[in-house]
Amino acid sequence: MLRQLSIIAALCASASAQALDINLPPETAVFKPSPLPGYELVQRNCMLCHSVHYIQSQPPMSPRAYWEATVKKMKKPFGAPFPDEDVPAMVDYLVKTYGAERQAAK
Amino acid sequence: MAKPPVVKTGAPQRRAFLKQAGTLGAASALSGTSLAALAAEASRITLPFDNGERELVAYPQKRPLILLTARPPQLETPFSVFNEGEITPNDAFFVRYHWAGIPTSIDPDTYRLKVGGNVNTPLELSLAELRQLSDAVEIVAVNQCSGNSRGLFTPRANGGQLSNGAMGNARWTGIPLKKVLEKAGVKAGSVQVSFNGLDTPPLGDGPDFIKALNIDQALDGEVMLAWQMNGADLPMLNGYPLRLVVPGHYGTYWVKHLSDITVLDKAFEGFWMNPAYRIPDNQCACVAPGTAPARTVPINRFNVRSFVTSHADGAQLKSGKPHALRGIAFDGGYGVTEVAVSTDGGKSWQAATLGKDLGRYSFRSWSLAFTPPKKGSYEIMVRATNRIGQSQPMTALWNAAGYMRNVVETTRVIVV
Repeated sequence: MLRQLSIIAALCASASAQALDINLPPETAVFKPSPLPGYELVQRNCMLCHSVHYIQSQPPMSPRAYWEATVKKMKKPFGAPFPDEDVPAMVDYLVKTYGAERQAAK
Repeated sequence: MAKPPVVKTGAPQRRAFLKQAGTLGAASALSGTSLAALAAEASRITLPFDNGERELVAYPQKRPLILLTARPPQLETPFSVFNEGEITPNDAFFVRYHWAGIPTSIDPDTYRLKVGGNVNTPLELSLAELRQLSDAVEIVAVNQCSGNSRGLFTPRANGGQLSNGAMGNARWTGIPLKKVLEKAGVKAGSVQVSFNGLDTPPLGDGPDFIKALNIDQALDGEVMLAWQMNGADLPMLNGYPLRLVVPGHYGTYWVKHLSDITVLDKAFEGFWMNPAYRIPDNQCACVAPGTAPARTVPINRFNVRSFVTSHADGAQLKSGKPHALRGIAFDGGYGVTEVAVSTDGGKSWQAATLGKDLGRYSFRSWSLAFTPPKKGSYEIMVRATNRIGQSQPMTALWNAAGYMRNVVETTRVIVV
């Protein structure tokens, strides 16, 4: 329910307030090392815009089609600047490291 | 290990009153030593689904919360918090962003809210001017992420893998959006109003996070521009210094660090309204698992939900002793009128006692005395019904985006 409040408190607080500053904790998540060629590419291309958590927290049986669609979505419409040539190796690393084609998943 | 490249933040619309996080270069460097030290200190929690291991991390103005993603920060409230009371403390309230370009420093004296588009008088308001536009109002309202509980979907749905903690209930203070729109003078023929905040895509090319409401809703007097929650300034990560509050509606509309309000003479078509945040255009917002809906609409009002908060899955209770079962229930704003509890896996149900009414958009607490007659395992289920008879399904509904889970929840306890 809406309820009317006194605005006296708000008006009294009109003295110059200080800027609110925060410092975010350090980002610690890293990609799992792998001999696959996509390992270098995902470090460069994915971590430019977001932490590895977005990848490592996905359901572990996510299929190749999911990873391919998601990598492509990062380019368009999301605007990631990596070249089309990088996509197959990135997808291969992602599905074999975090998705349905992991060794443990077979 | 190869070091990721260091990139200068794009910060395309950097303004004088704000500093932004964003691409990796703007965040801290990843050094091997600090990595090891932090890993040793971090406490952990396991959410109840495959790959549900998470760190608990304390962000600025927050107690340790469940870390979903660090950049941008996305934090889930540990479920035990909901047993502390109907109001979710500011330092435990969940955090959800879409892009890494989030403000990390804001000067409230130079902050401005712009109101423009299809209006008679475009405005640029300071916080002090905004407060003087109208008497302040307050409302207790739940904010819930569209994808709250997505991790519990079967089959699994991709996206943020949340358990039940991407929700919270707070007392919001601000002024009705209607007062600001009236001051600007909405022109005839206006259809929607769009809302943008200070968060931006880190590289500038992605679709900015902008949401829209139909003009009738924007003028309904309930949608609010809030500067306080629970009697204190909004925490930075919850939208300081001003956010939209859309009672009964999913958090996607509650734009944080609100900077631009634009009145439109046609429907807004940005990415975050279409194709993102859409639900199947049917009564249940659901489809057969693995299928796609024929038509979609923007996600809108909450469905009915209820939870046990007093006991976690696997809790042990003494046989023959009275125990207090407690929990919370909420809906999209009609108000919860009834909560039924089963202690035998749904075979029989009893009416719980409802707690204090903090308003129809608030969590409503409930309680029920339970004396387990004998040892063994018990399935406690809770089901709420609202003023217009909407309730919760016994089996979970499904959609590909993992939105709007509201199945009757089951808590398994062991009586010893």
